[in-house]
Amino acid sequence: MRISITARLALLAVLLSLVTSLALAGLIWQQTHDDAIEVLRRDTGEQSDALAAVYRSGGVTALAQAISDAQEDDDTLVAALVDGKGARRLGVGPDQLAFPPAAESFRIARIGAAGDWAREEAGVAIRPLGRDWLVSGRLLDDWERAQRTIERALLLAVLLSLVLGICAGLVLTRYVARRLDRIAGAVDAVAAGDLARRVGTEGGGGDAFDRLSLRIDGMLDRIDRLMGELRVVTDSIAHDLRSPIARLRARAEAAATADEPRQREAALAGLLAETDLVMRMLAVLLEISRSEAVTRDALVPLDPAALMEEIADLYAPMVEEAGLRFTVALPPAPVAPVGLHRELLSQALANLIDNALRHAGEGGAIALSLEAGQGDVRFSVADRGPGIAAADRAQALSRFGRLDRARSLPGAGLGLALVESVARLHGGRLELGDNTPGLIATIVIPP
Amino acid sequence: MTRKILIVEDDAATAGYVAKGLQEVGFAVETCGDGRDGLFLASEGIFDLLIADRMLPGLDGLAMLNALRAAGIRAPALILSALGTVDDRVKGLQAGADDYLTKPFAFAELLARVEALLRRAEGSGAEPQVTRLTVGDLEIDLLARSVSRQGRAIPLGAREFNLLEFLARHAGQVVTRTMMLEKIWNYHFDPGSNVVDVHIGRLRRKLEEGFEAPILHTVRGAGYRLSLDV
Repeated sequence: MRISITARLALLAVLLSLVTSLALAGLIWQQTHDDAIEVLRRDTGEQSDALAAVYRSGGVTALAQAISDAQEDDDTLVAALVDGKGARRLGVGPDQLAFPPAAESFRIARIGAAGDWAREEAGVAIRPLGRDWLVSGRLLDDWERAQRTIERALLLAVLLSLVLGICAGLVLTRYVARRLDRIAGAVDAVAAGDLARRVGTEGGGGDAFDRLSLRIDGMLDRIDRLMGELRVVTDSIAHDLRSPIARLRARAEAAATADEPRQREAALAGLLAETDLVMRMLAVLLEISRSEAVTRDALVPLDPAALMEEIADLYAPMVEEAGLRFTVALPPAPVAPVGLHRELLSQALANLIDNALRHAGEGGAIALSLEAGQGDVRFSVADRGPGIAAADRAQALSRFGRLDRARSLPGAGLGLALVESVARLHGGRLELGDNTPGLIATIVIPP
Repeated sequence: MTRKILIVEDDAATAGYVAKGLQEVGFAVETCGDGRDGLFLASEGIFDLLIADRMLPGLDGLAMLNALRAAGIRAPALILSALGTVDDRVKGLQAGADDYLTKPFAFAELLARVEALLRRAEGSGAEPQVTRLTVGDLEIDLLARSVSRQGRAIPLGAREFNLLEFLARHAGQVVTRTMMLEKIWNYHFDPGSNVVDVHIGRLRRKLEEGFEAPILHTVRGAGYRLSLDV
């Protein structure tokens, strides 16, 4: 069975108030209970001593007199002289004691063997008087009455706390429900498409609900921003894909209308090349979006130097064939393993090397370097090309800027986008710096 | 002996395209459109190779493959998938596929991989531990990691040697650029430039300079082939 959250909250409030009042009542009951018995024990002892003193000074007659005096203003009195077998000789008490008499300073029991005395409990002290035994004390009436009063009061208190608990529960749940409804309303509105809607705070933003609201608003801001970026990216992709697809179409048309087999073959080969370019653009885009969705537990501790060496090994011949100098600078000491995504980071470095190759110009150099000082691990790719002016770097790293660049340099701009998202996946960033002259691109990964 | 290939693919156009291409080069091909039928057909054990789409109606490709492996069918399997990111590929291989190819693909790439898988399946068990590979007049000593052609030693770097060993193990077959990237460098992404071609170019110069016959051939639109015959 499912209980609504409101009902559960109310139930919890009722339960809590019940538990507290029950604990309190129980404590009071325990305390008064013990006190009453303590008083009875003391009274019984004093009474027993007094009657024994009367007996010693005046004998049985004086004792009988004292008992009948005492009986007049106390109908719960027990004061009897019994013989060794427990039969009453005089005074107030059962005709026959329920148990054989023996010296006892205090005892609570049903003292009578039969009749009224067998029905009610009494607290008594028993002591020898000559050949007989003095049984004295008091029926528990008094004490029981007091206890009953306390119990009644406690019951009332429990009932009252139940009522109060329900009221408190209702008030509490109404309050919580109102605050939650506000948040739910905003979330529903966003889900329904009103992306600008926010929860906002109530009363200064100090309490837990306001903190939750602020977090949700933060999340909604990010979603809104991402949606905005996504829209721009989608628009740009659609735009970027138009030109290769237009070329594709032109080639297809050329192939379809070519008369000579040689011409047709050339057009078809061009068609394949254009298709590969489009496919590659799509693959990179997919990789970017996936690298933003990869969680950090996909990172495996790896030696950054080995990763750098492997990618350098793949690219070294290519850089040399292009007539450029290729250097790889690794730290002299072994580098501690860092959590890395080997494939994506290698691809990011490959993109940076590709970019450097494209921009390095004649007779330049490409320098890879790995630094692992001060906690950060820095993978750098430097070239001696024209570089990017300081004013343009921020724009080059922003999504808009990159896509603008991508338009002027087909296939190149998306590379940087991938590099940056890979750096972000590692909790790091992509830095573009001046190599005077040239560009130095660094993937910085914090420890 | 005609080798039989089962294609489990729900997209009729892709299935037809692959089947036609494979039939043209001499394979016997059977196709079916969903995972359950694929499991049923393949469990007869008459196929030398399975080509399965990853996402199939009924039973997905990897699940079908697991069921077949559990039933003792050892035929190599190539998974085709539209899920093309690096992580997808690596996970597909970890899940028991012998090879993984992303859609869309060039038929030459598929064919090269099919032949490599068949060669591997036939070779396993038959040849215990090869220590020497011979391709025409080219001799490769895998223990000493030395190479000679017509008795003349050819010094190679470690990476060049690995590349040559891979080509020699697939001698006479087409080896694609992505196959080399995957097997030699263990990269599953597409670098998008001709990095592999440059490595091959260097290797080719060392293997062919001063010799009459070319041995490392470029197969247009597909990859490379190590063989003395043209």
